[in-house]
Amino acid sequence: MSLTDTQLDVLTEIFNIGAGRAAASLSEIVGDEVLLSVPRVEFYRANEVNANVLSLTSVRLGSVQQKFKGPFNMAASLLFTEERALEIVQEMLGSQVQMEDLVEYEQEAMCEVGNIILNACLSAMADMLGVSFESTLPEYSSDTPDVVIGRIISDIDNPLMLILHMNMIIEKRRSQGTLIFWLSSSSLKDLILHLDQFLTRI
Amino acid sequence: MDNPSTKSVLIVDDSRVSRMLIKSLLLARFPQWTITEAVSGDEALILAKDRRFDCCTMDINMPGMLGTEAAEQLLKMQPTLRVALFSANIQEAQQARAAKLGVPFVAKPVTEKSVALVLAHFQGSH
Repeated sequence: MSLTDTQLDVLTEIFNIGAGRAAASLSEIVGDEVLLSVPRVEFYRANEVNANVLSLTSVRLGSVQQKFKGPFNMAASLLFTEERALEIVQEMLGSQVQMEDLVEYEQEAMCEVGNIILNACLSAMADMLGVSFESTLPEYSSDTPDVVIGRIISDIDNPLMLILHMNMIIEKRRSQGTLIFWLSSSSLKDLILHLDQFLTRI
Repeated sequence: MDNPSTKSVLIVDDSRVSRMLIKSLLLARFPQWTITEAVSGDEALILAKDRRFDCCTMDINMPGMLGTEAAEQLLKMQPTLRVALFSANIQEAQQARAAKLGVPFVAKPVTEKSVALVLAHFQGSH
Protein backbone atom coordinates (compact mmCIF):
# COMPACT_ATOMS: atom_id res chain seq x y z
CA MET A 1 0.00 0.00 0.00
CA SER A 2 1.25 3.48 -0.75
CA LEU A 3 0.12 7.08 -0.88
CA THR A 4 -0.16 9.20 -4.01
CA ASP A 5 2.01 12.31 -4.17
CA THR A 6 -1.02 14.46 -3.38
CA GLN A 7 -2.06 12.34 -0.39
CA LEU A 8 1.52 12.39 0.88
CA ASP A 9 1.68 16.15 0.43
CA VAL A 10 -1.57 16.65 2.38
CA LEU A 11 -0.50 14.31 5.16
CA THR A 12 2.88 16.04 5.45
CA GLU A 13 1.21 19.45 5.60
CA ILE A 14 -1.31 18.30 8.21
CA PHE A 15 1.53 16.85 10.27
CA ASN A 16 3.49 20.06 9.79
CA ILE A 17 0.61 22.11 11.19
CA GLY A 18 0.18 19.65 14.07
CA ALA A 19 3.87 19.85 14.88
CA GLY A 20 3.61 23.64 14.73
CA ARG A 21 0.96 23.49 17.44
CA ALA A 22 3.13 21.07 19.41
CA ALA A 23 6.11 23.42 19.12
CA ALA A 24 4.00 26.35 20.30
CA SER A 25 3.04 24.34 23.40
CA LEU A 26 6.64 23.31 24.07
CA SER A 27 7.70 26.92 23.63
CA GLU A 28 5.18 28.01 26.29
CA ILE A 29 6.51 25.35 28.67
CA VAL A 30 10.21 26.15 28.29
CA GLY A 31 9.83 29.88 27.65
CA ASP A 32 12.01 29.84 24.55
CA GLU A 33 11.64 29.63 20.81
CA VAL A 34 11.28 26.15 19.40
CA LEU A 35 12.46 25.53 15.85
CA LEU A 36 11.09 22.73 13.70
CA SER A 37 12.91 20.54 11.22
CA VAL A 38 11.39 19.56 7.90
CA PRO A 39 8.80 16.84 8.49
CA ARG A 40 9.54 13.36 7.23
CA VAL A 41 6.68 11.07 6.27
CA GLU A 42 7.97 7.68 5.22
CA PHE A 43 7.05 4.03 4.98
CA TYR A 44 9.24 1.54 6.80
CA ARG A 45 9.28 -2.17 7.34
CA ALA A 46 9.36 -2.91 11.08
CA ASN A 47 12.74 -4.64 10.76
CA GLU A 48 14.24 -1.55 9.10
CA VAL A 49 13.37 0.90 11.86
CA ASN A 50 16.05 1.61 14.41
CA ALA A 51 17.60 4.55 16.23
CA ASN A 52 19.99 5.19 13.35
CA VAL A 53 17.25 5.43 10.72
CA LEU A 54 15.44 7.93 12.94
CA SER A 55 18.66 9.89 13.59
CA LEU A 56 18.45 9.31 17.34
CA THR A 57 22.07 9.55 18.37
CA SER A 58 21.98 10.11 22.14
CA VAL A 59 23.06 7.47 24.62
CA ARG A 60 19.76 7.36 26.49
CA LEU A 61 16.33 8.66 25.59
CA GLY A 62 13.42 9.78 27.71
CA SER A 63 10.27 8.74 25.90
CA VAL A 64 6.61 9.61 26.40
CA GLN A 65 4.19 7.26 24.65
CA GLN A 66 0.53 7.67 23.99
CA LYS A 67 -1.91 5.78 21.79
CA PHE A 68 -4.74 7.42 19.90
CA LYS A 69 -7.81 5.53 18.82
CA GLY A 70 -10.26 6.89 16.29
CA PRO A 71 -11.24 6.35 12.65
CA PHE A 72 -7.66 5.12 12.33
CA ASN A 73 -5.22 4.31 15.11
CA MET A 74 -1.87 5.90 15.82
CA ALA A 75 0.85 5.59 18.40
CA ALA A 76 2.73 8.76 19.26
CA SER A 77 6.10 9.31 20.88
CA LEU A 78 7.92 12.32 22.21
CA LEU A 79 11.62 11.57 22.61
CA PHE A 80 14.27 13.62 24.40
CA THR A 81 17.82 12.90 25.42
CA GLU A 82 17.49 11.92 29.05
CA GLU A 83 19.50 14.76 30.59
CA ARG A 84 17.57 17.31 28.51
CA ALA A 85 14.33 15.90 29.85
CA LEU A 86 15.35 16.99 33.31
CA GLU A 87 16.10 20.50 32.05
CA ILE A 88 12.62 20.72 30.55
CA VAL A 89 11.13 19.60 33.86
CA GLN A 90 13.14 22.34 35.54
CA GLU A 91 11.83 24.96 33.11
CA MET A 92 8.29 23.76 33.61
CA LEU A 93 8.34 23.72 37.39
CA GLY A 94 10.52 26.79 37.83
CA SER A 95 10.96 27.68 41.45
CA GLN A 96 8.23 25.27 42.61
CA VAL A 97 10.66 22.45 43.25
CA GLN A 98 14.22 22.41 44.59
CA MET A 99 16.91 21.26 42.18
CA GLU A 100 17.64 18.13 44.23
CA ASP A 101 13.97 17.10 44.17
CA LEU A 102 13.57 17.42 40.40
CA VAL A 103 14.32 13.76 39.71
CA GLU A 104 11.36 12.80 41.87
CA TYR A 105 9.08 14.81 39.59
CA GLU A 106 10.72 13.82 36.30
CA GLN A 107 8.39 10.94 35.52
CA GLU A 108 5.16 12.83 36.15
CA ALA A 109 6.34 16.10 34.66
CA MET A 110 7.52 14.42 31.46
CA CYS A 111 4.21 12.55 31.21
CA GLU A 112 2.43 15.88 31.38
CA VAL A 113 4.80 17.56 28.90
CA GLY A 114 4.30 14.63 26.51
CA ASN A 115 0.56 14.67 27.02
CA ILE A 116 0.38 18.38 26.15
CA ILE A 117 2.68 18.20 23.15
CA LEU A 118 1.37 14.98 21.62
CA ASN A 119 -2.23 16.11 22.10
CA ALA A 120 -1.49 19.51 20.59
CA CYS A 121 -0.16 17.85 17.44
CA LEU A 122 -2.85 15.19 17.30
CA SER A 123 -5.67 17.69 17.90
CA ALA A 124 -4.59 19.89 15.01
CA MET A 125 -4.46 16.88 12.70
CA ALA A 126 -7.83 15.55 13.91
CA ASP A 127 -9.52 18.92 13.49
CA MET A 128 -8.21 19.38 9.96
CA LEU A 129 -9.42 15.93 8.97
CA GLY A 130 -12.74 16.47 10.76
CA VAL A 131 -12.32 13.44 13.01
CA SER A 132 -11.78 12.85 16.72
CA PHE A 133 -9.58 10.51 18.73
CA GLU A 134 -9.54 9.08 22.21
CA SER A 135 -6.18 8.74 23.89
CA THR A 136 -4.59 6.49 26.44
CA LEU A 137 -2.85 8.11 29.40
CA PRO A 138 0.79 9.02 28.72
CA GLU A 139 3.58 6.68 29.80
CA TYR A 140 7.18 7.75 30.39
CA SER A 141 10.24 5.56 30.27
CA SER A 142 13.92 6.00 29.60
CA ASP A 143 16.32 3.62 27.95
CA THR A 144 18.77 3.33 25.07
CA PRO A 145 17.32 4.53 21.74
CA ASP A 146 17.18 1.05 20.21
CA VAL A 147 15.34 -0.37 23.24
CA VAL A 148 12.86 2.54 23.16
CA ILE A 149 12.24 2.13 19.42
CA GLY A 150 12.09 -1.67 19.68
CA ARG A 151 9.41 -1.44 22.36
CA ILE A 152 7.26 0.89 20.26
CA ILE A 153 7.58 -1.25 17.15
CA SER A 154 6.75 -4.49 18.94
CA ASP A 155 3.60 -2.76 20.21
CA ILE A 156 2.45 -1.81 16.72
CA ASP A 157 2.35 -5.46 15.69
CA ASN A 158 2.48 -4.90 11.94
CA PRO A 159 5.35 -5.42 9.53
CA LEU A 160 4.76 -2.21 7.56
CA MET A 161 4.31 1.20 9.07
CA LEU A 162 4.03 4.84 8.14
CA ILE A 163 6.18 7.13 10.29
CA LEU A 164 5.66 10.86 10.69
CA HIS A 165 8.83 12.29 12.14
CA MET A 166 9.93 15.80 13.10
CA ASN A 167 12.58 17.35 15.33
CA MET A 168 11.86 20.24 17.66
CA ILE A 169 14.91 22.24 18.62
CA ILE A 170 14.85 24.42 21.73
CA GLU A 171 17.19 27.14 20.59
CA LYS A 172 18.43 28.52 23.90
CA ARG A 173 19.31 25.11 25.32
CA ARG A 174 20.49 23.58 22.06
CA SER A 175 18.41 20.57 22.98
CA GLN A 176 16.24 18.59 20.70
CA GLY A 177 13.03 16.64 21.02
CA THR A 178 11.66 14.29 18.43
CA LEU A 179 8.00 13.90 17.65
CA ILE A 180 6.98 10.65 15.98
CA PHE A 181 3.56 9.35 14.97
CA TRP A 182 3.41 5.69 14.03
CA LEU A 183 0.67 4.19 11.89
CA SER A 184 0.44 0.51 11.28
CA SER A 185 -0.43 -0.36 7.69
CA SER A 186 -3.76 -1.77 8.90
CA SER A 187 -4.81 1.82 9.64
CA LEU A 188 -3.67 3.15 6.28
CA LYS A 189 -6.87 2.48 4.36
CA ASP A 190 -8.87 4.60 6.78
CA LEU A 191 -6.22 7.31 6.85
CA ILE A 192 -6.27 7.49 3.03
CA LEU A 193 -10.06 7.71 3.06
CA HIS A 194 -9.90 10.73 5.36
CA LEU A 195 -7.09 12.35 3.37
CA ASP A 196 -9.20 12.00 0.22
CA GLN A 197 -12.24 13.48 1.98
CA PHE A 198 -10.06 16.38 3.10
CA LEU A 199 -8.88 16.88 -0.50
CA THR A 200 -12.46 17.05 -1.81
CA ARG A 201 -13.18 19.86 0.67
CA ILE A 202 -10.36 22.13 -0.52
CA MET B 1 -18.62 40.98 42.15
CA ASP B 2 -17.87 38.15 44.54
CA ASN B 3 -15.56 38.76 47.42
CA PRO B 4 -12.37 37.06 46.29
CA SER B 5 -11.42 36.25 49.87
CA THR B 6 -14.19 33.67 50.08
CA LYS B 7 -13.41 31.48 47.09
CA SER B 8 -12.96 27.78 47.45
CA VAL B 9 -11.40 26.10 44.42
CA LEU B 10 -11.36 22.43 43.46
CA ILE B 11 -8.49 21.38 41.14
CA VAL B 12 -9.21 18.10 39.36
CA ASP B 13 -6.22 16.67 37.50
CA ASP B 14 -4.47 13.31 37.52
CA SER B 15 -1.09 15.00 37.03
CA ARG B 16 0.47 16.01 40.33
CA VAL B 17 2.67 18.47 38.46
CA SER B 18 -0.29 20.21 36.85
CA ARG B 19 -2.17 20.41 40.14
CA MET B 20 0.91 21.91 41.77
CA LEU B 21 1.35 24.51 39.02
CA ILE B 22 -2.33 25.50 38.94
CA LYS B 23 -2.42 25.78 42.72
CA SER B 24 0.70 27.91 42.95
CA LEU B 25 -0.41 30.26 40.17
CA LEU B 26 -3.85 30.71 41.75
CA LEU B 27 -2.39 31.28 45.20
CA ALA B 28 0.17 33.72 43.81
CA ARG B 29 -2.72 35.97 42.83
CA PHE B 30 -5.12 35.12 45.67
CA PRO B 31 -3.24 33.74 48.67
CA GLN B 32 -6.42 33.69 50.76
CA TRP B 33 -8.27 31.24 48.50
CA THR B 34 -8.66 27.67 49.69
CA ILE B 35 -7.57 24.95 47.30
CA THR B 36 -8.68 21.33 47.30
CA GLU B 37 -7.19 18.76 44.94
CA ALA B 38 -8.74 15.69 43.37
CA VAL B 39 -6.90 13.19 41.18
CA SER B 40 -9.95 12.01 39.22
CA GLY B 41 -13.49 12.93 38.29
CA ASP B 42 -14.76 10.25 40.66
CA GLU B 43 -12.87 11.76 43.60
CA ALA B 44 -14.17 15.23 42.68
CA LEU B 45 -17.77 13.99 42.81
CA ILE B 46 -17.20 12.36 46.20
CA LEU B 47 -15.70 15.59 47.59
CA ALA B 48 -18.56 17.66 46.16
CA LYS B 49 -21.14 15.56 48.01
CA ASP B 50 -20.04 17.05 51.31
CA ARG B 51 -18.52 20.37 50.37
CA ARG B 52 -19.55 23.37 48.35
CA PHE B 53 -16.97 24.82 45.97
CA ASP B 54 -17.05 28.16 44.19
CA CYS B 55 -14.80 27.22 41.29
CA CYS B 56 -13.27 24.17 39.69
CA THR B 57 -10.55 23.46 37.12
CA MET B 58 -11.14 20.16 35.39
CA ASP B 59 -8.74 18.10 33.30
CA ILE B 60 -10.34 15.85 30.63
CA ASN B 61 -8.21 12.74 30.11
CA MET B 62 -7.92 11.08 33.50
CA PRO B 63 -8.21 7.52 34.80
CA GLY B 64 -11.89 6.70 35.34
CA MET B 65 -14.50 9.05 33.97
CA LEU B 66 -13.66 11.83 31.54
CA GLY B 67 -13.47 15.34 32.97
CA THR B 68 -16.32 16.51 30.74
CA GLU B 69 -18.58 13.89 32.28
CA ALA B 70 -17.44 14.79 35.81
CA ALA B 71 -18.04 18.49 35.05
CA GLU B 72 -21.57 17.77 33.89
CA GLN B 73 -22.35 15.84 37.06
CA LEU B 74 -20.68 18.43 39.30
CA LEU B 75 -22.78 21.18 37.74
CA LYS B 76 -25.93 19.18 38.45
CA MET B 77 -24.89 18.84 42.10
CA GLN B 78 -23.70 22.43 42.46
CA PRO B 79 -25.30 24.62 39.75
CA THR B 80 -23.56 27.82 40.90
CA LEU B 81 -20.12 26.23 40.56
CA ARG B 82 -17.85 27.87 37.97
CA VAL B 83 -16.05 25.13 36.10
CA ALA B 84 -13.25 25.65 33.59
CA LEU B 85 -12.05 22.67 31.56
CA PHE B 86 -8.25 22.83 31.56
CA SER B 87 -6.87 20.21 29.26
CA ALA B 88 -4.21 19.18 26.76
CA ASN B 89 -6.89 17.47 24.68
CA ILE B 90 -7.71 20.48 22.55
CA GLN B 91 -9.62 18.68 19.80
CA GLU B 92 -12.66 20.54 18.52
CA ALA B 93 -14.86 17.65 19.66
CA GLN B 94 -13.84 18.35 23.28
CA GLN B 95 -14.22 22.10 22.88
CA ALA B 96 -17.71 21.55 21.45
CA ARG B 97 -18.57 19.42 24.46
CA ALA B 98 -17.35 22.22 26.76
CA ALA B 99 -19.48 24.74 24.88
CA LYS B 100 -22.51 22.46 25.24
CA LEU B 101 -21.90 22.36 29.00
CA GLY B 102 -21.57 26.14 28.99
CA VAL B 103 -18.09 26.06 30.48
CA PRO B 104 -14.95 27.66 29.07
CA PHE B 105 -12.19 25.53 27.62
CA VAL B 106 -8.61 26.51 28.40
CA ALA B 107 -5.72 24.77 26.63
CA LYS B 108 -2.77 23.50 28.64
CA PRO B 109 0.15 24.00 29.36
CA VAL B 110 -0.44 25.53 32.76
CA THR B 111 1.15 28.97 32.57
CA GLU B 112 0.40 32.41 33.98
CA LYS B 113 -1.37 33.17 30.71
CA SER B 114 -3.62 30.11 30.69
CA VAL B 115 -4.39 30.44 34.40
CA ALA B 116 -5.38 34.07 33.76
CA LEU B 117 -8.05 32.78 31.36
CA VAL B 118 -9.32 30.42 34.05
CA LEU B 119 -9.33 33.26 36.58
CA ALA B 120 -11.27 35.51 34.19
CA HIS B 121 -14.05 32.93 34.27
CA PHE B 122 -13.85 32.45 38.04
CA GLN B 123 -14.13 36.17 38.65
CA GLY B 124 -16.38 37.21 35.79
CA SER B 125 -19.94 38.30 36.43
CA HIS B 126 -22.72 36.58 34.59
